[in-house]
Amino acid sequence: MGRYTRKLFSRRKIYDLERTNEIFVKAMRENAIFHFEHNADYKRILDEASFNPRDIQSMEDLFQLPFIPTLYYKHHEMFSMSLKRMPIKATSSGTSGMRSKIGMDIKSLWYGFKMVVRTFKYHKLWSLRPVTYIIFGYEPHKSNQAGIAKTANGFTFVAPSRKKVFAIKYTKDGYVVDLERVKQALIEADKKHRPVRTIGFPAYTYFLLKEMKSEGIRLKLHKKSKITIGGGWKQFYAEKVDKESFYALVKEVLGVKDTNCVEFFGAVEHPILYTDCRHHHFHIPVYSRVVIRDIDTLEPLPHGQMGLINLMTPMVKATPLLSVMTDDLGILHNEGCKCGEKSPWLEIIGRVGIKDITTCAAGAEKLLDL
Amino acid sequence: MILYQGEIFTDELQMKLIDQLKIDCYQTINHSEELNTMEVINACDILARKVKAGEYNDIILPLLTEFDIPYDYFIESIPMFEKDSLIKKCEIELGNNFEHLPDLDKDNRRKICPLGILFHIAAGNVDVLPAYSVIEGLLAGNINILKLPSGDRGMSVKLLSELINIEPKLKNYIYVFDVPSTETETLKIFADIADAIIVWGGDVAVKAARSMASVNTKIIEWGHKLSFAYATLDASEKDLKRLAGHIAMTNQVLCSSCQGIFVDSKNMDQVKSFAKKFFDILVEESKKHKLVSLGMRGKNTIEIYNAKLEQHETHQVIYDEKGMSVIVSDDHELELSMLFRNVWVKSLPREIIIEKIKPHKNHLQTASLLCNKEDVSELSDKLAKAGIIRVTKAGDMSRIIVGESHDGKYALREYSRIVELAKTT
Repeated sequence: MGRYTRKLFSRRKIYDLERTNEIFVKAMRENAIFHFEHNADYKRILDEASFNPRDIQSMEDLFQLPFIPTLYYKHHEMFSMSLKRMPIKATSSGTSGMRSKIGMDIKSLWYGFKMVVRTFKYHKLWSLRPVTYIIFGYEPHKSNQAGIAKTANGFTFVAPSRKKVFAIKYTKDGYVVDLERVKQALIEADKKHRPVRTIGFPAYTYFLLKEMKSEGIRLKLHKKSKITIGGGWKQFYAEKVDKESFYALVKEVLGVKDTNCVEFFGAVEHPILYTDCRHHHFHIPVYSRVVIRDIDTLEPLPHGQMGLINLMTPMVKATPLLSVMTDDLGILHNEGCKCGEKSPWLEIIGRVGIKDITTCAAGAEKLLDL
Repeated sequence: MILYQGEIFTDELQMKLIDQLKIDCYQTINHSEELNTMEVINACDILARKVKAGEYNDIILPLLTEFDIPYDYFIESIPMFEKDSLIKKCEIELGNNFEHLPDLDKDNRRKICPLGILFHIAAGNVDVLPAYSVIEGLLAGNINILKLPSGDRGMSVKLLSELINIEPKLKNYIYVFDVPSTETETLKIFADIADAIIVWGGDVAVKAARSMASVNTKIIEWGHKLSFAYATLDASEKDLKRLAGHIAMTNQVLCSSCQGIFVDSKNMDQVKSFAKKFFDILVEESKKHKLVSLGMRGKNTIEIYNAKLEQHETHQVIYDEKGMSVIVSDDHELELSMLFRNVWVKSLPREIIIEKIKPHKNHLQTASLLCNKEDVSELSDKLAKAGIIRVTKAGDMSRIIVGESHDGKYALREYSRIVELAKTT
């Protein structure tokens, strides 16, 4: 069991979709059968849709495989193996207070590790030179199980760390935002000519840079510095900042070129690492496939049309994450990219239903995830 | 952006101005002549006419589109700010002789005085709302400190500075700050200066206001509310259509919008066939209104799909199409719907209206009645006893009438006090 998944996660060319379609379908088939046989709730969902995972033969069949909305994981603990076999139980950052509970088995973690190693290698993110890490996120603490905190700290092993500075520190009174410290750390790294890597939500990075700009601070960070962001642009909807002006601000305040700005995208419910290319496109790696679905009918849409993002991967055995419906709207582009990769790329437009914050009906704050 | 005594400042000056705020407010109370209600009314009247004439359409129209507020609904609300309406409002809320109250007895006279200083914490749901709140404060003669809601597009500052331009006397009575809700220390300073905190918003905002107020600060809450329809099985097709039209027009986002329908029956088969009938009507009526935004339709399509995955546990009956739904549940709970043309239908025999609705207490607002004439009086009475503020006809749930109460209370009365003065003999 898991033979095709292992093969898929052993591929060296991480964006060679065409030549992995067959193996992807087979890996999905074996993953679907595994969950079907080990997870009663998942079996019920497939049975209700009269879908037999053994019938999966093609990509088209995968379009028919019932997907599970992220919302469903928030209400149901869907585990396909005993909890003892899961070294990690991650929760999503859950701004609405509801969190997905997702289990990860050792094999999935191993696949994930291989994926990260290959992806970072492709994107030239590994470095032996010690760097100052600025983490626009939570300092790890046992009270915080959020996936993003785990990822952010885990990421600090990509290059040797000289120093780690967390924007959100854990104090005896709980978590406290301390952007002043981050600012000082950036200025110090600039003076001492040390490479910096920043990691975290774009919004925090953006607000700090804006403040530094208004204070007239202009740095020229070491050319090996990288600004990495992840966790979504959700907080930006009110500010209406587009990525271009974000990169322009990074250049102006920190002196870091936009080709050294790297963005990641991923979700607890879909633990695949998407990394943008130098033209800032999220190409689809071999480990996953993306289906864009019509917002009214949920039918798959052709490339270039906007719809709901449905993400598929056979990576995980502990929880049936093989076809997940996100709350995001996006477009899958297949018109080629100047970076040379042929794999289609995903443009994320934003969360559904976040814009219309206009209600005074009681209880709606939670519902609209404000 | 800060509006302080008629001048606009950038946020950098916030701390400096806040340091001065209490002194300036007290100075106004100490030295300025009292704010005359008629002067406020005249200024509002001029402003309302300018709005109606389309002078601010360049900012207003995009906001209406963005917030999905129907243009007609907006236009309908403008006369609320015109002279006759405001005079009527003052007379209804404060009494016909609000400017010259009759004496209490031969030795004591009375007058209506403002509370003094109001601190308005506005909600972000409608952009004109913060300005409206301040205008109510002014009508009662108060000094107003307004905390803008996050995501304010400058509409409040624009309208209020126009008001000051029209009536310069108002400049000492209006202070607007753009302080985020997270800056509790600053908000506490405002709360300490103010005689009362006016809080608009959901339970979270109301709780926050309660926690920042000292015991001698009055809190006036305009919280979020829930509204619904109550139908008997013989509800007319015409009423069902009007209700469906109201749901499609308001997209269920207003406090007074219908979230769902309670049916006066114990029989679930009857409730289900009622729901199916209403669903068909909703789909038809919906066609007469603007499409729901893509994002909201997408959100609801996923939620309905999710509800179907959970049907084996919830035993819901779901009628749906393109992000629109009517969902029958077997409980009797009043709850928020998925909004944007998604309605729940539940059984609620009239005998248990009070038992099931009353626990929602302060969240209750409007109920529309879809029933025979003979039932109106009994059902209205039950709903009123259960805590409902307003019982309306099917399509009128969000109607605006000059002089109506706000969530069962009169704002101007809340913002005033009666002072009794012994006559000199």
